Amino acid sequence: MSVSAKRVNGFYFMPPSLSAWIGQTIPEKKFGGQIPWTPLKKPVSETVFSLMTSAGINIKTDPDFDMQREKQEPTWGDPSYRKIPKSARESDIHVNHLHVNTDYIKKDMNVTLHLGRFREFETDGVIGAIAPTSYSYYGYQTDPTALMEETMPKVVADMKSEGVEAVLLTPA
Amino acid sequence: MGLVARFLEENGISTILLTMTPDFNREIGIPRIAAIEYPYGRVVGEVNDTEGQRQVLLEALSVLGTAKKPGEVVHLPYTWHEDPKDTKWHPPEASPIIKMYLATIKKAGAEARK
Repeated sequence: MSVSAKRVNGFYFMPPSLSAWIGQTIPEKKFGGQIPWTPLKKPVSETVFSLMTSAGINIKTDPDFDMQREKQEPTWGDPSYRKIPKSARESDIHVNHLHVNTDYIKKDMNVTLHLGRFREFETDGVIGAIAPTSYSYYGYQTDPTALMEETMPKVVADMKSEGVEAVLLTPA
Repeated sequence: MGLVARFLEENGISTILLTMTPDFNREIGIPRIAAIEYPYGRVVGEVNDTEGQRQVLLEALSVLGTAKKPGEVVHLPYTWHEDPKDTKWHPPEASPIIKMYLATIKKAGAEARK
């Protein structure tokens, strides 16, 4: 691992007004509560992975994430999820997200849902395996109740059924 | 995504979150973070930059393999190849919530500049 002096500025790409607005909601102090922890049980090179992105990606044969309702109700975001098979390529997917430019993902899905790179890692033995299924949900959730109480328990059950041991998460 | 990472860890699945917004760690308490100063929508890297994407993902996997305690944040050293003002990460049309709160957002910006 490279040790660097760089400190990532989470607002680097954000317009100043938006930074100021969002920054108001983030506390200055370090998180004080308990953080759940599952240590990695084996080396990365033996671990079964699934990927998860909040980029609003679905396979074309599945329904798209609901953008129309959000346009009517700006504080609502689609709380459902979609399964993405490990073989998925750009021509297999739709991307719906009202908060980022989705053109890059459509050109090369590895910029967020990096299945192509992970297929290479699987072949090269960098990781143990990619599970048959990866996952996408929609990252705009002002009230995460439905996402966390209805959607994620189903995702965890799906992951367990495929022997997933670790997940690399990538936001949109 | 922090809440999702927490939920997976509670259920016995290890996680690594590769994110451009590590600051939310202070609000939520996220198990493992590889922080990167890349734009929204391209957290792994630039379109068709296979080698750059591989490097970033290898670093994220390294954090997963070496983190010893919950709440660990490793800042990756990469610098995006475009200036922020030239980085077209935003949607073609302002999102519904931004439209709804535009006046409030402008006010927050004006307050911050004082």
